[in-house]
Amino acid sequence: MSAAPAALTSPQVAPPSGPAAGWSGPGARSKRRRFTWNALLWALIFPQRGQRILPTLSGTLLIALSLGIGMAAYNSANNILFITLSLLLACLILSGVLSWLNFRGVAWRLELAPPLRAGHEAVVGLGLRNGKPFLPTYGLWFELLARPVEEGPPPPPKSTITGNDLGDLDVRAAWKQAALAEQRGQLFLRERLDPRGELRLDWLFKPTKRGRLSVELAGIGSQFPFGFLRKHLTTELREERFVWPAPVDYRRLAEAGARRTAGGERAARAGQGLDLLALRRYASGDSHRLIHWKASARSRTLLVRQFAAETTEGFSIWLRTDAAIWTRPEQFERLVSFCATLAEDLFRAGQLTALAIDDEAPLPVRRVRDLEQLLDRLAIIQPRKELGPGHAVLAAEPKAKRNVLTFAPDGAHAVAAYVDGEKTATT
Amino acid sequence: MEKKRPQLSLEELHQLKWLLGGVLVLLSVWTVFYLEIEAWTLMGLTTVAVMAALIRPALPARLPPWTHRLVFPAVVMFFIGDLWLNTQVLPAIVRLDILLLLYRGVSYRQKRDDLQVIILGLFLIVVAGVLTVSLAFAAQILVFTACALAFLLVINLVESADAGRPKDGAPPRVPAWTHLGWRRLWARLREVADWRVLVLGGVLFVGVVGVSALLFLAIPRFQLENSLFLERFAAKKARTGFNDNIKFGDVTEIQQDTSVALSVDVTDRSQIPAAPYWRMLVLDEYRAGSFRLSPLLRYREFSRGERVGDTIRGTARSPRGEPVYWTFYFESGVSRYLPLLGPFAQVRFRETQNYRVATNLGVVALREEPAAMTAYRVEGMDASDRLPDANFALRLLKLPGTDPQSTTLKMLGLGVNAADQATLAGMVREITGGVALPVAEFSRRTEAWLARRHRYSLNPNVPGGAGDPLVRWMASGEAGHCELFAGSFVLLARTAGLSARVVTGFRGGTWNGYSNNFTIRNSDAHAWCEVFDAASAAWLRTDPTPGADAGPGEQAKGEATLARRLDRSWAARWDSLRVFWYRRIVNFDQRSQVETLKAVKEATEKSGQQLRVKLSEMVERLKAWLASPWTAERVAKILGSVVALAGLIWAWREFGRGWWRQLRRNAPSGDPVRLQAGRWLRELTVLTGASESAQASARSWVVGPETARVIDDLQRLRFGARATWPEPEAVFRRARVAVRAERRRGRVTAS
Repeated sequence: MSAAPAALTSPQVAPPSGPAAGWSGPGARSKRRRFTWNALLWALIFPQRGQRILPTLSGTLLIALSLGIGMAAYNSANNILFITLSLLLACLILSGVLSWLNFRGVAWRLELAPPLRAGHEAVVGLGLRNGKPFLPTYGLWFELLARPVEEGPPPPPKSTITGNDLGDLDVRAAWKQAALAEQRGQLFLRERLDPRGELRLDWLFKPTKRGRLSVELAGIGSQFPFGFLRKHLTTELREERFVWPAPVDYRRLAEAGARRTAGGERAARAGQGLDLLALRRYASGDSHRLIHWKASARSRTLLVRQFAAETTEGFSIWLRTDAAIWTRPEQFERLVSFCATLAEDLFRAGQLTALAIDDEAPLPVRRVRDLEQLLDRLAIIQPRKELGPGHAVLAAEPKAKRNVLTFAPDGAHAVAAYVDGEKTATT
Repeated sequence: MEKKRPQLSLEELHQLKWLLGGVLVLLSVWTVFYLEIEAWTLMGLTTVAVMAALIRPALPARLPPWTHRLVFPAVVMFFIGDLWLNTQVLPAIVRLDILLLLYRGVSYRQKRDDLQVIILGLFLIVVAGVLTVSLAFAAQILVFTACALAFLLVINLVESADAGRPKDGAPPRVPAWTHLGWRRLWARLREVADWRVLVLGGVLFVGVVGVSALLFLAIPRFQLENSLFLERFAAKKARTGFNDNIKFGDVTEIQQDTSVALSVDVTDRSQIPAAPYWRMLVLDEYRAGSFRLSPLLRYREFSRGERVGDTIRGTARSPRGEPVYWTFYFESGVSRYLPLLGPFAQVRFRETQNYRVATNLGVVALREEPAAMTAYRVEGMDASDRLPDANFALRLLKLPGTDPQSTTLKMLGLGVNAADQATLAGMVREITGGVALPVAEFSRRTEAWLARRHRYSLNPNVPGGAGDPLVRWMASGEAGHCELFAGSFVLLARTAGLSARVVTGFRGGTWNGYSNNFTIRNSDAHAWCEVFDAASAAWLRTDPTPGADAGPGEQAKGEATLARRLDRSWAARWDSLRVFWYRRIVNFDQRSQVETLKAVKEATEKSGQQLRVKLSEMVERLKAWLASPWTAERVAKILGSVVALAGLIWAWREFGRGWWRQLRRNAPSGDPVRLQAGRWLRELTVLTGASESAQASARSWVVGPETARVIDDLQRLRFGARATWPEPEAVFRRARVAVRAERRRGRVTAS
């Protein structure tokens, strides 16, 4: 069976609302600093924090040309050369002014489209806005960076790192590994960003593994207007998202489905069953047949009936993560992916009731939101070092419960799922 | 909602880049027009080839690929050959530059090639500027800068539009943009252009020019040793010129040239003589119809050797009081002898020069004729008609005898045969009556004698025959020019036993009323004489040319005498621009910098004082106004004014702003539908013979009913609110039919 990613939307990652939500950059509305001449002069002399200005090839050429002409001018006291030198320097100043104007009023924000899944392409949107009244913006590029967030408490801050602190750590190897885990991309503003206009650029990338992922706008660059200088701004724009486990293909082995109880079960969630679950206010689009006239008359508000969902059979998933059982990391990853895939498939079929992880209390899964929280949890789950009380029993446990899905290693790589101790599916 | 403006595509940007690159190449190579280097053929070839490539951008693709491989070796060979044949470094480099620009102008360029075009072009313009110091340089560098900035901007936009795209192999042989037409690009540029951005661009460019002017003024100046002279690498070539061997007619030939030879600034106008004689060269020896500087005199006067420096100390003493400075802007191609009014205390050049000074002659000669304008400042210059020469007086005393060397050194040699000498003696007798006269009297009588016998003319006629031509001319009654008169006077004076010589240079000039300087043109070239007065041990100037009285009446000085020479013509305006260029740009040095700062400081202080005075006056007026009696009429007037002002503000806020916005919304600028409707309306107006405004009343009987309806719809499209528009395409189709119908109707009516 192929496990296709479900098109789920998550309220936690809804795009920020409001005019200033999430916007960053020179054009973002922020508290303006008080103008002082000192600040202006200092800003002209020394680049602002996070700004880097480097000459390009043509800029280096221009500077070398200016130096050459300047030397010739002083050498010969020739005013024609002084004029040329002045013009070249004025052009350099104009370049700086136009570059400043180009960035002025421009704001950007990250727009991540949920959900992110390991092994699947994700879209990072970069919203751009030009707040200038009549000047367009040209020729920007954006450097984006996606890197996994390390779990666990951050290391204590130190002013000096010594060799003892590093221990056996090979810094270069660690660096290389971190660089490999990172994904970098560049987006180019190829078109003109009109005054008062907005634009969105999309970056496609593929998260390699589950976990928490940080997507950052590492920098913005431009060579506008004449290509003499490469202006680079760093930003602190950063968004964190969960990368859900990658879906896996699995195979059903037997008809060890859930046992049906007579008459079915009533689930405590809204659905199309026959049992009345609750009354709620009428909303536009509700069928008139659902209006509860008596209650509406009593409350003088239009109320409609809400029925409970009716389930025939339901499964509970019990995921145990003991490191003693899951000794191979790749097998553990397979377990998490299998569990997530099964949970999604069962939920889509309306057959998932709850999920328990190790010794924690089972989490009921009634709504999409519950499933998403569950997947978020699975995104960051790690093998448990300390053994839980029920680590000795695997597939056979718990016998008293019905329709409980458990997992166990199946050979060196595969993972098998058991329903009430009966092997049901394997990867 | 504001309509979204279209954008230029990548292909259109490439096309624009090609256009700007071509324009830069043309602008650069056109420096040849004022750069005096033999590169006209290359310039013409480049102009034709680049213009052809601009008009038909697909043409360069027809060149076979192997030609591009041959270009580099061919250019190197050309350069080596040029250097070998002409042995001049700078002209060879200039021609190499033009050749490279030609190649870049007719081949498809990558980014580095585009940058090369800018560098090569800038080199050419700067070299031309340094060599010629021409005002054309200022115009050219400004246009070049504007085009180069636009070019760089487009290059950057092309890079941005192409960034991140995968590059698949080599670029195609014929780029895709070459099939686009220029008319289409022009239309697209008009669509894309936003007048506000264009205005800002213009303002920024003016800002660049302003900032560069400020930088030019503010860049600290300190003199290093002069070691870079581009002029050294170029051959000197004179267009016209005074040299030390002048045949009769040479000065007159110079007079045909009306270009400016010299501009002179003077700090004290009262020192300007009414008829200034700008001495350049002294010619002492007459032989075979021409005057020249004799080798003997040259040896004696210029033998001190060549000096190098920027200051020459003269023999004259600076008068007491505020020194008077004469700043000369001496154009290239005139002479290597510097024009001067007389003895001087000091001459100071802007740059170090190689020069020789003949102190007794009052002549300064540069080693080579300058290829660019030469500026020098003279202090303590004596503009009188006397040139003291105590050494010559001693020479006259010490050199008795009549050997040729002594005669030459005493400037008494005639250089004519015995028969002519006899003729000259007869003439002198006729002038003097056989009596020895004082120098002044002899001069007066000789001038009168010559003026009686000869008229002044630029087209003289020297009669043929045996003997010396000058003596023949004197014996005739033919008209003559200044050289003939001066030469005749010298021969007559020498025959009378007076030492005399011909002096060449300029006489007079005009006073430019705009820039307040003397402008002397080549047409002011002149020849006159100096006769030695042993009594005063000085050379006295005398000008025997009729109409050029150099007597005491002409020695008046001051502003009143300048009024006669005042020039306020359009040519003077142009010359004033040139002088401004020389004064403020070319001749700008540390002293000028200090003077400018001083002037700015004074102007600031003065304006501050004026402002304070004005403010205090205003305060006084306000006090007086407040203190004056408050009558009912006055109060009513004030209240009325306040109410009227408030009413105006209210009306603008209520109606004016809305009306302005409405006006702008309905403005037909840029909207293609409105523009097309306008075109159809104009065509129909022409065909129906009714003016656009009178159509409403006239069309019912001038045009058919369908045409009238079409005009209604077109007017709605042209001027009406967008919400009320009919379908534009359908209206235009109907308009086309209506135009045809009206044409048919017109033909039928005419037949």
